Amino acid sequence: MTDALKAQTRRAALKTLALGGAAAAAGANLPLWARFAEAQTSEPIRIGFQVHRTGIGAAYGRWYDRTTMAAVKRINDAGGINGRMVEIIAEDDGTDPKRGAEVVEKFANQHNCDIGFGTLFSHVVIGSAPRAGELKLPYFVVSEGHHVASGMLNRYTLQPGITDVKSQVIAMAPFVSGNLGKKVTMIYPDFAFGHDHRDYFSAAIEAQGGEVVARIAIPPTETSFTKYFPKIPRETEVVYHVMVGPAVLTFVKEMGEFFGPSRPEMFGFIDSLEAVDIASPGLEFLEGTYFWEGNPRYAQPGQTSHDKMYRAAVGVDENGASVSDPKDISTYAHMFGCWETLNVVKAGMEAAGYQGPADRPALIEAVEAMGDMPLSDDHPQGAKRFNGKTHQVFGHQYISKVENGRLNVAHMTSIEDTLYPDEVDYTQQSF
Amino acid sequence: MAAVLPARAGRAHVSEQGFVLLLPTDVYISAGAACVALTVLVLTLLPDRAVSGLFRPVATLRWPLWTGARLLTSCLSFAGFLALLWVGLAGPRDPLANPLTLVVWTVWWIGLVTLQGLFGNLWRWINPWTGPVALTRRLLNLRPALRLPACLGQSFGILTFLAFVAILLADPAPSDPARLAGYAGGYWLFTFAALLVFGPRWAARGDGISMLMRHYAALGLFGRLRGRLALGLTGWQALHRHPPRAGAAVFMLLMLGSGSFDGLNETYWWLDLIGINPLEFPGRSAVIAQNLTGLILANALLVAAYGLAVWMGVRLVSSGIGPGQAFCLFAPSILPIALGYHIAHYLTSFLVDGQYALAALNDPLARGDDLLGLGTFYVTTGFFNAPDSVRTIWLTQAGAVVAGHVLAVMMAHTIALRRFGDTRKAALSQAPLALFMVLYTLFGLWLLASPRGA
Repeated sequence: MTDALKAQTRRAALKTLALGGAAAAAGANLPLWARFAEAQTSEPIRIGFQVHRTGIGAAYGRWYDRTTMAAVKRINDAGGINGRMVEIIAEDDGTDPKRGAEVVEKFANQHNCDIGFGTLFSHVVIGSAPRAGELKLPYFVVSEGHHVASGMLNRYTLQPGITDVKSQVIAMAPFVSGNLGKKVTMIYPDFAFGHDHRDYFSAAIEAQGGEVVARIAIPPTETSFTKYFPKIPRETEVVYHVMVGPAVLTFVKEMGEFFGPSRPEMFGFIDSLEAVDIASPGLEFLEGTYFWEGNPRYAQPGQTSHDKMYRAAVGVDENGASVSDPKDISTYAHMFGCWETLNVVKAGMEAAGYQGPADRPALIEAVEAMGDMPLSDDHPQGAKRFNGKTHQVFGHQYISKVENGRLNVAHMTSIEDTLYPDEVDYTQQSF
Repeated sequence: MAAVLPARAGRAHVSEQGFVLLLPTDVYISAGAACVALTVLVLTLLPDRAVSGLFRPVATLRWPLWTGARLLTSCLSFAGFLALLWVGLAGPRDPLANPLTLVVWTVWWIGLVTLQGLFGNLWRWINPWTGPVALTRRLLNLRPALRLPACLGQSFGILTFLAFVAILLADPAPSDPARLAGYAGGYWLFTFAALLVFGPRWAARGDGISMLMRHYAALGLFGRLRGRLALGLTGWQALHRHPPRAGAAVFMLLMLGSGSFDGLNETYWWLDLIGINPLEFPGRSAVIAQNLTGLILANALLVAAYGLAVWMGVRLVSSGIGPGQAFCLFAPSILPIALGYHIAHYLTSFLVDGQYALAALNDPLARGDDLLGLGTFYVTTGFFNAPDSVRTIWLTQAGAVVAGHVLAVMMAHTIALRRFGDTRKAALSQAPLALFMVLYTLFGLWLLASPRGA
């Protein structure tokens, strides 16, 4: 963190101590009396940040927090939203759906937040969104889940900063069938996350004239995989794998031992190895294989000024690691969602002339009215297209090849590749 | 409680667990258990005098009781505690930014308990009750109103300790600052009142925290002996004390049992047992009953297994010692194992959350200060991402577990020697307990090597 950012975030966090809850973070450099005067005239915009501080999502939470603080600093440095500073009120959801709902309640009832924002894990979003709807608190999630666009949530829940897993998966099919092969064996963990991949990809590859020749579901508690590999049919041209959890490295190592030098093409999701160094010993087998990336971890030739600015702001180097520790790999494929969501919130509040909680419906309508968002400092991952009916954003996806232990982008999908028919129209729901 | 703060597995996150699974942990585990077994063997071959001499302390400078100074530091500690409670209620909601959460779970529970066990009775200096209680008594001229009945033994202490562990293990949000302020403030008040009513006997028999600290202090290298500061091998103080009463002996086993379960409850094995997908852990609020049940069962099982081992031991030699007496006699030898587990279990949490605590210390008033000169400071977990550092961390944890067991075996053997007089008898009486400790080493190292998901 830069000193200024550190000061700002700590101040934001502790401001209730220093100023009895009154002053905006940016006012804290002023003398005490002036801070009070300023606070009287411009209350901050309060954003409740639901973050996985503890529990199984904590590793993501750390980077979501870092990205969020950097995004807020940038917004505040540029004058805030409608002339008001943004204050982040972070609450730990414990990566726990029940606590997630309680946190949403605190945002609305205790902390007087204008909106709720942030969380990643699907079960927490699904557990929290109904409460946000009941409390009429706009709830901006950064979770990748298809639950928003599927119609299972409500008008107050939006996902404008990160694409959903369904669009990510179907956008991979044209590349896989066109470049890697048409006969695919899928290896996935045997629970909802893996099932989503299985269902979306099977349909998408068939639409491309391809075929899933085997579906190998691995029990979630499995830690050795050698007995599953003989189930991969000989005719397989591509192995599609989405294993997650601590056993992933073992999975890769054992698969390498099974195939030796003559392997089929391999395609995976970086979720398996998010925050893991691709050059780690044991992962050599991945050389020459392909991964989906939400945002390219390694700065690419022709890097945009926007990506450069974003990396510097968050404190991430050109290898996707923390600037203070090259071994501390970020969750680069996902965390941009926090940055972009906050910029959508800013744009939405400005378009709606947002003044306070009474304007929450106007804020939602303003976001629903958004369409194309250009590649910019606000959207450093790439251009986006928001679908106001499904409350879901669509964007480019990246397919990277492992070369010399780093991920080089081999293909960027079009936004059109990621689209699918609407499954809901939230605008028909009343506020 | 890699539970209260960390648990660093996740849907898409490999973390250090991934590298641990690639380590030759089965070799390390065998080596660790062999090390403990070898200790047992060596002890039977060493001359008696050499073994009991191991725990003889060396007296150094004169060391008064420091009663007045300790009352003063206790009052200061209490003032600090009050300030922390206020920060817990009014400060940041983020547990990793709130000094209360960081001080209670990282500095005090992980850090201070470890130092207490390694070095000696530091808690005596910062106990937040002794000063305020003495002051209140003097100001109001109060005497203890009631006598804690001796027949109740340490049962209140056991209850308050189990309540503490239950919060640690089963509460949905023990690190939430406001919730923690409620627990900590409530426990302080309750204990303060009990100390006023029952006098210092409550600290020895009713307050689980003070009892835990007193037992760990018995392992410290430094202690007071005949008016001097003495230094000796871990365990010398415990061996110097009278054997514990039944309640205290059970308490010592609960320290280990609870610590062991607070590790077991994160393993794939346990999650599978309670039907939970470790890759999609539903959160602490979904496993409250399971954790409480497991805590009770684990402790009951440990007490039974230990009891069986000492009972078989005294049956093997004609010693005239009853099983109940033996149970108490050997219980202090469990303490170093509990300390080893504590260190091993929390090391990874401490490496990360210690950084958050440091960041808070660097800028305690949140004014952008840089008191420690850290400059730009990002918390890192990079050491979980490289095989070399993961191996170092794992072997450190394993080392703590194995060292705990080796010390335990040595302590138990010394106790037996003192009691039974000769090596052969001592060794024979120790055989079942030694086997128990070797098996427990295997269990502890297996815990460290197991994939975790909660």
